[in-house]
Amino acid sequence: MGCCFSTGSNQDDSKKPLIPDPNLDRKPTNCSDRNADSLSSSRTNEQDLHAAIVQRTALNIIDVSAVISQGLEQHEYMDRARQYSTKVGVLNRTWSQKKPVPLPSLSSQPHQVLAADLVSNADVQQVSKIAAYAYSAISQIKVDAKEELVVQFAIP
Amino acid sequence: MTTALTQGLERIPDQIGYLVISEEGVLASAGELENDEHTAGVIMQMVRTACRFRLHGTAEPPFKRMSVMFEDYVYAVTISGQKVFVVKRQNNQREPVIV
Repeated sequence: MGCCFSTGSNQDDSKKPLIPDPNLDRKPTNCSDRNADSLSSSRTNEQDLHAAIVQRTALNIIDVSAVISQGLEQHEYMDRARQYSTKVGVLNRTWSQKKPVPLPSLSSQPHQVLAADLVSNADVQQVSKIAAYAYSAISQIKVDAKEELVVQFAIP
Repeated sequence: MTTALTQGLERIPDQIGYLVISEEGVLASAGELENDEHTAGVIMQMVRTACRFRLHGTAEPPFKRMSVMFEDYVYAVTISGQKVFVVKRQNNQREPVIV
């Protein structure tokens, strides 16, 4: 993991603040000791904080490339397979129970509605013009980049 | 039952074909749309999509009839009693086209 810090503590890490209160007493770590010899105490604190953050992140990271696979025993494997297919079965049932949206009723007089006058050519042309304007407007939307999106943090 | 559905469609002016479609499939067809399951499928998809449109705050689709307009003919589509009615009508309007 790259850090020689070793914690023997049984603290509940999930409740620890990400950046610990620098006013609390902290034992300097082995890592930061080597670096902090010639530095001021505030620098040591910063190294402490940094090391704590790195260590917490390292604890939380699951490095899949580093895991040496321990083979499952046959019964373990069968148990898990059964568990998964039960779960999938439940999900399938829920999905297939969803009925497709029923067709709404647009009219109680379908023959009348269908026999009514057709849409006039003038209306069709007007709608086509409006659609053309809308298309033209949308195609002119563009991003006006004013600033850099990615900036460097400057830590004083 | 089918006669009741189709009688009214037969009498529509300028009609050159019609379809009556339900969730299960085509219930009746005639004229240029006779046995035209392909057109039935396409129109079902179109009308389902159109039914999802809503004007602000309303609960129902904001239209009674959907028209698919081509140069010489029109498909007029509506829904009633869980059935989709499609009629193909001639488009006889001869107004000058303003380019």
